[in-house]
Amino acid sequence: MNFGYLKNHEGVAPAMSQQVEQIASPVPGAAPATGAKAAASAAPGRKVITKADAILLVKYLKKVFDPDIRAVDGISFNVKRGEIFGFLGPNGAGKSTTIKIITTLIQKTSGTVFVDGLDLEHQPAKIREIIGYAAQDVGVDDDLTGRENLRLQTRFYHIPRSESEDRVNLIIKTVGLEDSADRRAGTYSGGMRRRLDLAMALISKPKLLFLDEPTTGLDPQNRISVWNYIKSLNEQGMTIFLTTQYMEEADRLCDRLCIIDHGRIMAQGTPAALKSEIGADVIQIALKSDGEKKVQDIAREALRRIPGVQEVQNYDAGVAAYAKNGPSLVPQIVRMLDDAGVQIAQLTLSAPSLDDVFLKHTGHQMRSEEVKPPSRMIWGARRRPSR
Amino acid sequence: MSVSNYLVEVNGIFGRWIKKTLRRPQFLFFSLVQPIVWFVLFTQAFSSITNISVPIPGTSPQLFKTFKDFAGTSSYLTFFSAAVIIQTVISSAMQSGIGMVTDLESGYMDKMRVAPIHRSAILMGKVLSDGVRILIQTAVIMILGFALGVTVATGVGGLLLLFAIAMTFGIAWSGISTFIGLATKNSEATLMISILTTFPLLFLSTAVMPKPLLQDWIQTVATYNPMSYVADALHGLIITGFDWVGLGYAALIILAVGAISLSATTSMFRRTVSG
Repeated sequence: MNFGYLKNHEGVAPAMSQQVEQIASPVPGAAPATGAKAAASAAPGRKVITKADAILLVKYLKKVFDPDIRAVDGISFNVKRGEIFGFLGPNGAGKSTTIKIITTLIQKTSGTVFVDGLDLEHQPAKIREIIGYAAQDVGVDDDLTGRENLRLQTRFYHIPRSESEDRVNLIIKTVGLEDSADRRAGTYSGGMRRRLDLAMALISKPKLLFLDEPTTGLDPQNRISVWNYIKSLNEQGMTIFLTTQYMEEADRLCDRLCIIDHGRIMAQGTPAALKSEIGADVIQIALKSDGEKKVQDIAREALRRIPGVQEVQNYDAGVAAYAKNGPSLVPQIVRMLDDAGVQIAQLTLSAPSLDDVFLKHTGHQMRSEEVKPPSRMIWGARRRPSR
Repeated sequence: MSVSNYLVEVNGIFGRWIKKTLRRPQFLFFSLVQPIVWFVLFTQAFSSITNISVPIPGTSPQLFKTFKDFAGTSSYLTFFSAAVIIQTVISSAMQSGIGMVTDLESGYMDKMRVAPIHRSAILMGKVLSDGVRILIQTAVIMILGFALGVTVATGVGGLLLLFAIAMTFGIAWSGISTFIGLATKNSEATLMISILTTFPLLFLSTAVMPKPLLQDWIQTVATYNPMSYVADALHGLIITGFDWVGLGYAALIILAVGAISLSATTSMFRRTVSG
């Protein structure tokens, strides 16, 4: 599948569209992924992000729900053309709210949003024409077949009838639903529903694709196939904005990401830069006196005295120490804590991961997944075999 | 905004609902099983009503009024067919709101809202499909009625008018259910409220019994009950003939209910989709 839609569209600087041209028709042998990355970091020397570089510009975005819940608390970021950009954060961090504002589903309280040079405030209808959105909860019609769902989508995006059947057939093949395209979506498995939903978001060939937690609730196998698919879309030049609560997902897919918690951006950058910011091994020590501030402080003071430990930080279950030569310090750490009368529940040593980045910036670990009860229906049970 | 785009959108959404309706088992239930049950149960249970004779005071020798004098027909089945139509139409209309709720719950509404379609097309396509669904159901009832021996006094013209009344009344009434659905965003609540507001109105109207045979207090309620006027219009078409005054009343009632319910639904829908 090749989306040639990025060629020469409006608002792209000449150098930029050349880059994009390359991605759209890859040179044999050249790894398309590097092409996309190059496009993302194109225009050397330009520090200011302009509308041409950024397909999405968000400034001081705020959403306050009644009575005073700051779901999104004044965030600013931008998404460059051709990149995979991610929001990493726990449930309730404000990820979905941000996406829903940008995709015109809910109204912002304040701030500005530009999508491909279009002002969200004044041109929401124009924005809808160029974006695709796959929600966290799959939005397919269970009574229609996969093919009918897609066909209806082509009507919504005013794709001419002469073209729509070809597009439907192509996308069915791309997401691997050939065998089940003419079965009702209600009989699909969770993974198939997700793929159909993704296909529905893609059939209009959006310039900017929003994926809200694209793999939440999928088993590992399906998760990997969705990851590969997202990557291949990006390699063909599609800009993707995704949210996730999985560190691994953010690490594998995102060119750049924001760590978001309580409606605020705690850190942003490439996964590698965020990790190297820590610049040290991370020794997480969970304490038996779970979260007791006094014991944490004693432990922190004890650890700070160890030469080589750069920083010690409290977190919800204990303390975290950052050090260059982590492994060699473990015996000393155990000894010091023992001397200070602090009991260790668990000690883990790791090279910095996004988990640690999150911990460092938020002071707590990612909260575990909440389980949402399925909504009850009165007419006809929902047929969702494996979700 | 282009008209042809709008038509494509409305047509797409209309087609979607028609497909959904025809594929759902409960549609079959409402359109076939329920009218049969109503026809058979009620006409059997109340068949003795046609044997009544009410003495006319001050006549000598004593004269009596029979069911035919009240209803215009000696067949309760024929009289009751209007009630079956109304009952089926409102049962069907009550489901309309549930479809909206399902879309809100399933995330399909959001899918439509992020698409570059006119948001009014979402409602328009739905309402039109409700109308067509009700038309099909009314046709099924009439076929069933004919098989059981119902006759229509006004012939083909009256039958077409009857279909028109059933459909417009159904659309007007489905606005109520859609409004409740959008307001509560809960399918159980939508159904409960719809049933509670609808069924008492049916039985407190002249749909099931000629007015003089109703209890005094019910007669009073029936006079102010919009459903009575729709029922009287249908009774007229089936039993006696074109009664243009009665039909005019019914048209006014349908227009009024429709104007209120559909404008309330539209504004509630706007509120829901504007986020």
